Amino acid sequence: MRFLAAIALTWITATTAAMANTGIPTDGALGFQHAVTPIMERIVEFHDLLLWIIVPITLFVTALLAYVMVRYRAKANPVPSKNSHNTLLEVIWTGLPVLILMVISFYSFPLLYMSDEIPETDFTIKATGYQWYWGYEYPDHGVEQYLSNMIPEDEIVDGQERLLSVDYPLVVPLNATVRLQVTAADVIHNWAMPSFGSKIDAVPGRLNEIWFQVTELGTYYGQCSELCGRLHGYMPIEVRVVSQDVFDAWIAAEPGTDDANAILAQNTADRATRLAQLD
Amino acid sequence: MSAHAANHDYHLVDPSPWPIVGSIGAFLLAVGAVAYMTAGGLFAEGPLAFFYGDGVEGDARGTSMGMMIGFAIVIWTMFGWWGDMIKESNAGLHTPVVDLGMRYGMILFIASEVMFFVAWFWSFFEYAIFHEVRLDPGMAMFPPTGVETFDPWHIPLMNTLVLLLSGTTVTWAHHALQHDDRKGAKLGLLVTVILGVCFTALQGVEYAEAGFEFALADGGNIYGSTFYMATGFHGAHVIIGTIFLFICLLRLQFGGMSAKKHFGLEAAAWYWHFVDVVWLFLFSFVYVIYQG
Amino acid sequence: MSADSATHDDHTPSLWDWKRWVYSTNHKDIGTMYLIFAIFAGVIGGAMSGMIRLELAEPGLQVFNDSFKLFGMLEMGDSHNYNVMVTMHGLIMIFFMVMPAMIGGFGNWFVPLQIGAPDMAFPRMNNISFWLLPAAFGLAFMSMFVGGPAGGEGFGGGWVLYPPLSGLTGHPGPAMDLLILSLHLAGISSILGAINFITTIFNMRAPGMTMHKMPLFVWSILVTVFLLLLSLPVLAGALTMLLTDRNFGTSFFEPAGGGDPIMFQHLFWFFGHPEVYILILPGFGIISHIVSTFSKKPVFGYLGMAYAMVSIGVIGFLVWAHHMYTVGMPVDLKAYFVAATMVIAVPTGIKIFSWIATMWGGSITYRTPMMWAIGFIFLFTVGGVTGVVLANAGVDAALHDTYYVVAHFHYVLSLGAVFAIFAGWYFWFEKIFGVKYNSLLARLQFLFFFVGANVIFFPQHFLGLNGMQRRVPDYADGFANWNEISSWGYAIMGVGMIIFFLILIEAMMSRRKGEANPWGEGATTLEWTLSSPPPFHQFSTLPKIK
Ligand code: HEA
Ligand code: HEA
Ligand code: CUA
Ligand SMILES: [Cu+2]
Repeated sequence: MRFLAAIALTWITATTAAMANTGIPTDGALGFQHAVTPIMERIVEFHDLLLWIIVPITLFVTALLAYVMVRYRAKANPVPSKNSHNTLLEVIWTGLPVLILMVISFYSFPLLYMSDEIPETDFTIKATGYQWYWGYEYPDHGVEQYLSNMIPEDEIVDGQERLLSVDYPLVVPLNATVRLQVTAADVIHNWAMPSFGSKIDAVPGRLNEIWFQVTELGTYYGQCSELCGRLHGYMPIEVRVVSQDVFDAWIAAEPGTDDANAILAQNTADRATRLAQLD
Repeated sequence: MSAHAANHDYHLVDPSPWPIVGSIGAFLLAVGAVAYMTAGGLFAEGPLAFFYGDGVEGDARGTSMGMMIGFAIVIWTMFGWWGDMIKESNAGLHTPVVDLGMRYGMILFIASEVMFFVAWFWSFFEYAIFHEVRLDPGMAMFPPTGVETFDPWHIPLMNTLVLLLSGTTVTWAHHALQHDDRKGAKLGLLVTVILGVCFTALQGVEYAEAGFEFALADGGNIYGSTFYMATGFHGAHVIIGTIFLFICLLRLQFGGMSAKKHFGLEAAAWYWHFVDVVWLFLFSFVYVIYQG
Repeated sequence: MSADSATHDDHTPSLWDWKRWVYSTNHKDIGTMYLIFAIFAGVIGGAMSGMIRLELAEPGLQVFNDSFKLFGMLEMGDSHNYNVMVTMHGLIMIFFMVMPAMIGGFGNWFVPLQIGAPDMAFPRMNNISFWLLPAAFGLAFMSMFVGGPAGGEGFGGGWVLYPPLSGLTGHPGPAMDLLILSLHLAGISSILGAINFITTIFNMRAPGMTMHKMPLFVWSILVTVFLLLLSLPVLAGALTMLLTDRNFGTSFFEPAGGGDPIMFQHLFWFFGHPEVYILILPGFGIISHIVSTFSKKPVFGYLGMAYAMVSIGVIGFLVWAHHMYTVGMPVDLKAYFVAATMVIAVPTGIKIFSWIATMWGGSITYRTPMMWAIGFIFLFTVGGVTGVVLANAGVDAALHDTYYVVAHFHYVLSLGAVFAIFAGWYFWFEKIFGVKYNSLLARLQFLFFFVGANVIFFPQHFLGLNGMQRRVPDYADGFANWNEISSWGYAIMGVGMIIFFLILIEAMMSRRKGEANPWGEGATTLEWTLSSPPPFHQFSTLPKIK
């Protein structure tokens, strides 16, 4: 009974998933989190295209199976034919998939190159993975590394998310093109942010780079996505996307301190009031 | 009964204790090796402590007792198993088709060995060619700072000549045996074995003179790791091949093998040539091309 | 041990003679031991996945929280022990369940029978291939109870064993060393097995059986063991490097000494990707026989089927880095791996369509094995097409290391490979054991497995798309719903497992005598010409193939 209830509940929530808040997983969702960078938007688009290819292929195979199962069951077709060759058919079912794959490639490669090649960026952030927290640096702003730890479950306050919120988040200005350099100090970690379409390994002894440009204000959550030991599930990533003014104030208040956090809190509160007024 | 008698030339081997004995040996060898390597206190207490305890307090290594027992069982299995095979061969059970099967088996075994060496070469090339991804500037070049590589035209060249020569002497032995010249065969094998020993000795000298270390703790780095492990595994194969050839020599000495049937010697020769070719790759790439 | 007893080889020893099994040089007995071993390992691996699903049934730590005790007695430890559970589940299912069942079990039983050979080429070596497995399993099992990371036991770094987590940095204790040696032994076992199968197939085919007349199951095993022969030594090399890094101070994967952890990933996946085809190719072979038998038609496009497997095997060696799109590879390299990976969809498609074409025009009866086979075709297609999605490095940036990947590979493994194993099991059960099983119960098991597995794994696609990462014991509250459903699916599948054992017990108790060929005219391969079970030594006079 609980099971049926769960299914029913899921489908109800699923239909409302579109209205859910962004930057965070939603119960019963069927697809990606809301995209807020050009890369993620293209990923979602491309994935939609892939769905339009793989679902029909699967349905087609299912339909064929269903047809032969019914049409050629022993009762309906007591005498089997002996055919075991049909060159034309074999050419078709070799050639058609090739064509389909070429279509996929046609859209796949541009996406790959677009997300991989770093455009001109406004500034650089350096992230370092540790067991089990992140360290962030803003070399272009002279900000030295500050650490970003998960808020333990029993210290969660209103407005924070269990397993996802951190004490000192990463902050970036709206629409800025950011270069993110990632490395690790002990084992491999992975800096992943679903709504940005970012996912890059933090490898000791190597420096990896990605870029993103966030086009919507808000708070976004991600998690370390490479198994890194006991607390792998407990090293989340929180990114606040704010206006340039707030960002500047935050930098001036020295990131990684309570003062800097106060600026973020103020900003969140201001936004909440303004949104409330709009309603 | 005769209706069931085998009407084919395949060899249906009798039940044998060696597989399970060998597996138990391998298991004990593995557990013992871990106890030895880690001194991690596997069974630090209780009746097994003598075999698997942590050894001397403060020592990096544990006791090697368990490992030795396992190793002894593995060696015993090899003697027993291959001894049985020699007996079966002498009893005429290795018909031409069975003989052919063993040839397939040996070639495939060597193929798997080739792939094993691919791993070591791959590691070497990865560093030699793609070192610039390393963050540490001292490690982002080849060879790394502080590493003095070998001059390929001294000991390495000598070793190359030794191995090439041994490749010809083993062929000499094989040809001699084919023409029922047992004396020539023995002589050829003896020379080959001696050359094999020379190679190992020369490699020992080379290792003693090396201008880089093996272990990180002694100031070693990736160059030493890839160099010693690749040449070291090759060296281990030289030793195994030498023993293999030596056993063939003993068998010849005691009247085993004939001009028509001597697959043991052929397998040893194939193995030896394989070891030879691996060396040529090591020599060309590790010593000559990427000498730094 | 030597020639004097060679004339006694037609004498069938008693089932209760322990030497018959322990000293065995008989491919059928060894095959049976492999099957029993696989069931044993499958139960353990399945129970471990039960612990995983129990933990994931709702958000928060319910099981791996330092105070929970299973059945009131077994301590389950903390989130590290969850990682150990996941790691061992993956390793056990792959190395000790699927491989022993398909290659060791069915391969040993039916390769010699189908090519008309009296036994394997190296019967004694065949036995050590088997006996090394319990030894390897023992080492892996021990590893769970000795020191791993600081303050924990067992290795919890995933079945892919990536350093530095698997190095001294992540797991200084001896657990990882035991696991490395365990995989060495399992690897030796498989390499020896591979040598044995290739030699058998090349050297011992009955007169008249050319390569192009070989049954497809034999073809599938041939390709599989070639992959084993060529990929496992590379893994052995990588594991050896890891071992020396840990114990002898080398720096292969140690950045401090100029090593690179990514190198391990290349070596691992150069083995790992062929490995996943090793797990499925024998299944392809089994499915071909079943589909043809119950459609009463020869396999459609026999040669195409054989060479599709060969090309899957060859291309399988060229695509390994699609597991590594996020490690920071040059983009052109990624582009190459995208293209190469997608190419595999073509030969695989040929197989899917040829199976359907085999059924086309047939006179199909839905006996138990056929139900599993049709289930396989459908589920494998679902798993395959999500593989094609993952192959695109652009989207993989969003999906790598999420439950989308978990869903993908369980569709091809837990639903593909496992369904193929059960299809083979019910296809050959009577041949192997000489008794009939209750086909009603077997269909019921199919029903529970089919429904259960889909309920477990289909929702995981949604979780992955929405961003749920792998290998975590706890998850954000927004993932609760689908996870709960997934865990209920496990309960359904669990009922299927109980039915599986009921079938075994029922068949053992009622002892309905098996027929030589229970499947009728559709079953054309040589094993059906023999009694069930076949004589201890078959084909004393070799069959002639026209
Ligand atoms: C039996 C095992 C098996 C099989 C058969 C496959 C088959 C395939 N796999 Fe899968 N895979 C795994 C087991 C398997 N995989 C495992 C275990 C992992 C995870 C490892 C880990 O990280 O722990 C993994 C992960 C994995 C990844 C990495 C994901 C990541 O970590 O980010 C990728 C990416 O390319 C991938 C791709 C593919 C592809 C393209 C196929 C193809 O072979 C599929 C081809 C089949 C079809 C496409 C369906 C039938 C075809 C048709 C009906 C024709 C028409 C179709 C088209 C034109 C599209 N797999
Ligand atoms: C063949 C491989 C295989 C199989 C069958 C399964 C079966 C199952 N797996 Fe698993 N799984 C893996 C391979 C497999 N898995 C791998 C490689 C990983 C990744 C590990 C890692 O991240 O490192 C993984 C990870 C994994 C996860 C992710 C954990 C995480 O990332 O945190 C989960 C979670 O739900 C899961 C669940 C299950 C479940 C519920 C089943 C159920 O289907 C289980 C039900 C039981 C059976 C189907 C077994 C029945 C078979 C027999 C009893 C043998 C019969 C034999 C004969 C008849 C001869 N598995
Ligand atoms: Cu850090 Cu996972
Ligand atoms: Cu793969």
